[in-house]
Amino acid sequence: MTLSLNHAPLRAALSGVDHTARPTWKLRETVHFYRDIMGLPLVHAITAKGWGREKEQHADFIHFFFDSGEGSTIAFFYYIGTRQPPELVVPRGYMAMANHTAWRVESEADLLSWQKRLEQQGVSVSQSVRHEILESIYFRDPNFYPLEITRRLRDIDRPDATDAELTIDAALELEASGHWTNIEQLWRTKARYVENYCEALQHDSANGGKP
Amino acid sequence: MSGFYLLDVPEFAPLAAAALRTGKCREGRKTGCYRFIEFDDELEIERADTGLGEAVWFGCLTAGLDGKIAHFDSRRLSLIATNEPILPHL
Repeated sequence: MTLSLNHAPLRAALSGVDHTARPTWKLRETVHFYRDIMGLPLVHAITAKGWGREKEQHADFIHFFFDSGEGSTIAFFYYIGTRQPPELVVPRGYMAMANHTAWRVESEADLLSWQKRLEQQGVSVSQSVRHEILESIYFRDPNFYPLEITRRLRDIDRPDATDAELTIDAALELEASGHWTNIEQLWRTKARYVENYCEALQHDSANGGKP
Repeated sequence: MSGFYLLDVPEFAPLAAAALRTGKCREGRKTGCYRFIEFDDELEIERADTGLGEAVWFGCLTAGLDGKIAHFDSRRLSLIATNEPILPHL
């Protein structure tokens, strides 16, 4: 087993999200939703003649940004005179929901306030859902893009990172097998990784911290 | 010894408490950030006894299972001992 804790520690080379961006073919509805309903300030817009990529037949476009707090923005591309390609229509179903934006708020009161605000504006919003470290509400924008507002229930700590490494180690083993079909196989495989991890800790402890 | 691991964080503590209240398991070794809840042949836990919401409940064995899931739905989790291979068709 590869004890992932021996990996070089991650260095904070990034400083959070600057922007995420998606295409839209609903300019008016998108501006209304983000600026007027959500109240996110429209802070920047680029207009350009197709990046000059003539071979690509790149459409002329508007690229516009809404402030989503802490220096981050959510942005859209509106390609003038184009039709939405079928492959960019957001599919129904849970798998397509994996591609989403989740904004952070600082408190339960803030989360409930957003839920109430959106409902009052006629947006269909989920009840709040508590995950392990997050509590979230879910909704859609006019493009059917999934959106989430979430708050941290606790800080992510060192044990979370240790556990995540062991989960991924076990998952990589199963993926490589080519026969992985369910979560029980992962949980049973992971038990072996956790057992080895714990034995390594006990061994180190018995040797006064010397490997 | 069959059992399941738990990451020693607040959200999984109610699962350990509910399991231990069944009287059919015991707290095993705790090493680093992991607890181990041992059972002999079988263990059944009702979600209502844990107070967990479904989002955490359906991931409650994420730290590792030494055993087999006999039943798992939103109401009840039933675990049994097993010697079956993890990937039986290999």
